[in-house]
Amino acid sequence: MLSYILRRILATLPVMAIVALFVFSLLYIAPGDPAVVIAGDQASPEDVERIRQSLGLDRPFLIQFGDWVWRILHGDLGTSIFTNLPVSAMIGQRLGPTLSLMTVTLLLTIVVAVPLGVVAAWKAGSLVDRAIMAFAVFGFSLPVFVVGYMLAYIFALELEWLPVQGYTPLSEGFWPWLENLILPAIALGCVYIALVARITRAAMLEVLQQDYIRTARAKGLGQGGILFIHALKNAAVPIVTVIGIGIALLIGGAVVTESVFAIPGLGRLTVDAILRRDYPVIQGIVLLFSFVYVLVNLLIDVTYTLVDPRIRY
Amino acid sequence: MDRRTVLKGLAGAGGLALTGGLSAPAIAQGAAARTLRFVPQANLANFDPIWGTQYVVRNAAALVWDTLYGIDAQLQPQRQMVESEEVTDDGTTWTFKLRSGLKFHDGEPVLSKDVVASLSRWAARDPMGLMIKALQQELTAVDDRTFKWVLKQPYPKMLYALAKNNSPCSFIMPERIARTDPFKQITDYVGSGPMKFAKTEWVPGAKAVFEKFADYVPRQEKASWLAGGKQILVDRVEWVVMPDPATAAAALQNGEVDWWESPIADLVPVLKKNKNISVDIGDPLGNVGSFRMNHLYPPFNDVRARRAVLMALSQEDYMRAIVGDDTALWKPLPGFFTPDTPLYSEAGGEILKGKRDFDAAKKLLAESGYAGQPVTCLVAQDQPITKAQGDVTADLLKRLGMNVDFVATDWGTVGSRRAQKTPPGQGGWAMFHTWHAGADCINPAPYTAIRANGDKAWFGWPNSPGVEKEVTAWFDAKNLDEEKAAVARLNKAALEDVVYAPTGFFLSYTAWRKNVSGITKGPLPFFWGVSKSA
Repeated sequence: MLSYILRRILATLPVMAIVALFVFSLLYIAPGDPAVVIAGDQASPEDVERIRQSLGLDRPFLIQFGDWVWRILHGDLGTSIFTNLPVSAMIGQRLGPTLSLMTVTLLLTIVVAVPLGVVAAWKAGSLVDRAIMAFAVFGFSLPVFVVGYMLAYIFALELEWLPVQGYTPLSEGFWPWLENLILPAIALGCVYIALVARITRAAMLEVLQQDYIRTARAKGLGQGGILFIHALKNAAVPIVTVIGIGIALLIGGAVVTESVFAIPGLGRLTVDAILRRDYPVIQGIVLLFSFVYVLVNLLIDVTYTLVDPRIRY
Repeated sequence: MDRRTVLKGLAGAGGLALTGGLSAPAIAQGAAARTLRFVPQANLANFDPIWGTQYVVRNAAALVWDTLYGIDAQLQPQRQMVESEEVTDDGTTWTFKLRSGLKFHDGEPVLSKDVVASLSRWAARDPMGLMIKALQQELTAVDDRTFKWVLKQPYPKMLYALAKNNSPCSFIMPERIARTDPFKQITDYVGSGPMKFAKTEWVPGAKAVFEKFADYVPRQEKASWLAGGKQILVDRVEWVVMPDPATAAAALQNGEVDWWESPIADLVPVLKKNKNISVDIGDPLGNVGSFRMNHLYPPFNDVRARRAVLMALSQEDYMRAIVGDDTALWKPLPGFFTPDTPLYSEAGGEILKGKRDFDAAKKLLAESGYAGQPVTCLVAQDQPITKAQGDVTADLLKRLGMNVDFVATDWGTVGSRRAQKTPPGQGGWAMFHTWHAGADCINPAPYTAIRANGDKAWFGWPNSPGVEKEVTAWFDAKNLDEEKAAVARLNKAALEDVVYAPTGFFLSYTAWRKNVSGITKGPLPFFWGVSKSA
C-alpha cells in the first residue's frame, strides 16, 4: 500500500510538469498585457514599454519559462506583478477562507445528500422519492449565484440572521467563523448535494436488490441497520468517487461563491489575477489546484481500500 | 494503514489548516464607531501611486501621502505642505519653503531632500512633470525646509502641476523610498499624510486598512478637496473590496459597511428606499464617455468617415445605455471638456447637436471612399460602461451601412490590442470604447486623450497640428481669459478633426449610512472631516 502511494505521488510529478508547461504557454499566447493595466489608461506607449521591460515581460518565451521553472524547483512561486508580494504569501492569505468554505460545504453535502439518497432508494417510486429527486433536479439546475442572492436576501437582509459577506478565521471563535460560511456553503453545496443524492440513490438501489440484503431482512434486522450498515457500506465506492470528483466542482463553484459573498479566498484571487493578467499568481494557483486535484484522486483510491476490503493495490 | 489512521490524519490536517498558520486576517469583525468601513470603486491591487496610476491607488495614496499643494473645490491650487513660495520676475526660479513640524509616519521630519527625491520620481512619470523636467536646470535642497526649482524658461502652470489631483500626483515620500526607480514598485509605505497604511493587514483584492497618524499636523484652513486641514475623525478606515455590486448593496443595507463609493445605477433605487442610507452624486466632475477611431487605417483615416459617424451619433442613446433613465445622471456634451468647469466650451459642437442626419452622414461616408470593409470594433464586455457603449455603436454603424466586426472581449485584451498599430485585419483595430474621468478633462494638462500629435498621441494616433497649436497656447496662457480662448479654439479644432468621439457626460452616485457624516462631493473620496456615530 505504502509503495503504491509513493508511486502515485511520483506519478504526479510528470502531470504537474505538463500542467506547468500548458499553463505557461497558454498565458504567453493569450491576449492581454499586465504592463498596460499597470500603466493605467492615460499612460503613453513608451511608459507601457518601460514597465514591460522592468517586469521582464519583453524577454523570449523560453528564457521566461526556464526562469520560472528554475524558481519553482527551488520552491519559489515568484512575485505578483501587481502587488509585489510573494505568490506563496498571497496564496497563504487566501487558503484559509477557501479551505473553510470547502470543508463546510463538503460536510453539509455528506450530512444532507447521503441520507437523502438512501431514503430515496428505500422509498423508490414513492412520493418521497419523487420529492427528493425533484429537489435534486432543482438544486442541480439553479446557478450558484442565484441561490446565493436568494439566501442573502432572505436570511441576511430580511431576517437579519446572518451576515451578507465576509470571512472570520476560526481562531476568532467557532460561531463567528461559521456564521460567515453558512449561506455560502448552502449556495455552493446545492449542486453538489443534488449530484451526491442522485448517485447515492442509484448505488443504493442496486445494492438493495442483492441477495444478502434479502437475507438480512429475513433475519429480522431493522431497516436502519440494513440501509446504513449493510447497504450503504457496499454502495460507498461510487459515492466516494463522486464526492472526490465533486472537489473539482467545488473549486469552480468557489470562484463564483466567493465573489457573491465577498469571501477573500483563492477563487477571487484567481479571477482578479486573470483579469489583470497577473501571470505568476495565475500560474501558482493553477499549479496548486492541479496538485490538490491529483491528491484528492489519490485519497479516493486509498479510501476505496477502507470501504471495500476486497480492493487491494 | 487502517481506516482510523487515515481518518485521524485527515482530521488533523483539516484542523491545522483551519485554525493555524493558514488562516487569513479577519475580514468581517464587529463594527466599531471609530472604524469606517468603505467599499472602494476597485481593488487596491498595488500601492505605489507613481508606478501604478489607477484612480483607486491615487485615492488610497491621498490618505497616506501629502502633497506640496492641493487642488480645492474651485479647482485652484492651495498651499498644503508648503508654507510659502517665491518666483523670480522672469518666472524661471521657484523657491519653496516647507511648513515646520511636518513628520513622516516613522517619526522622521519631512526635509527638502525628501521633497527633491519625490519630485524627481514624480517628474519621470507625470505628463506635466515631464514637461517641467524638460525645462529643468536644477532641482536642489537649499536647506532642511527650503528647496529651489530652476528652469530654463517659465512654466506658468507650476503650482497647478504640484497640486493637481490627476494621477500621478506629486506625493511626498521619504528620500530612501523616493529614490526607487519610477518604473519599479516601492515596498515601503512610510507616508507623510494623515493616515498610516497598515501593511500587515493588507489582503490585496479584499482589504486595506489605514490608521490615523497622531503626529500629522493639519493646516488650519477648512478642508476643501485636497487642500486645507485634513482632520481625521475616525481611528481606522477599512477598505473592503467587493467585486459584486449586489453584495455591496446588501452589505450597506445590513450595516456591514458604512460607505460605498460607486453604487451602480441599477441598484440606486433600492438604496434610496432604505431610510438608513443617504445617496447623492459622488463626483460632480463626472465622466466623459468616448470611443476612439484609428486614424491610421481606412475607413477612419479619412476625416469624412469620422465626421459621418459623429453626425449620426446620438449621445442620448449612449447615456441612457450607461446610466438608465435617471436624467439627473447625464447631459449631452457637444465638446471635450468637463461641463460646469471654467474652461468648458461648446465651440464647434454643432455636429453633435440637434436631430441626427443619417442621410447626410451616409453621403459623407460614401464620399470618404468607404466600400464595405469590416470595421473592427473592440468592446470589453467585463466593463459595464464599455459594453453599453459598444452595443450602441454597433447599432449606429450598422444603420450607417457599415460592416461591423464586433470583437467582444475583456478589458485586459482591449488594453493590449489597442496599442497595436498594425492594420485591423492583422491584429489591429478600427475602434474601441472607453471613458475619461471628468477631473482629467478640465484642461489640456492631464488630458492625454485630447492630444493629436500623431505617433506620440494616445491610441488611435490622431494627427492634428491645429489641436496641438491650441494645447501649446493653453500652456502659455497668462490668465483665465487667454486659457478660455485657447480651449475654445482647441475644442473646435478637435471636433473638426474628430480626435475622438465624445458620447456624453455622465455622473455616478455615492451612498453611505446615515450615521456617517461629513462626506463631500469630489473627484475622489475624501476621508478628512468624515465621522461616524454609534
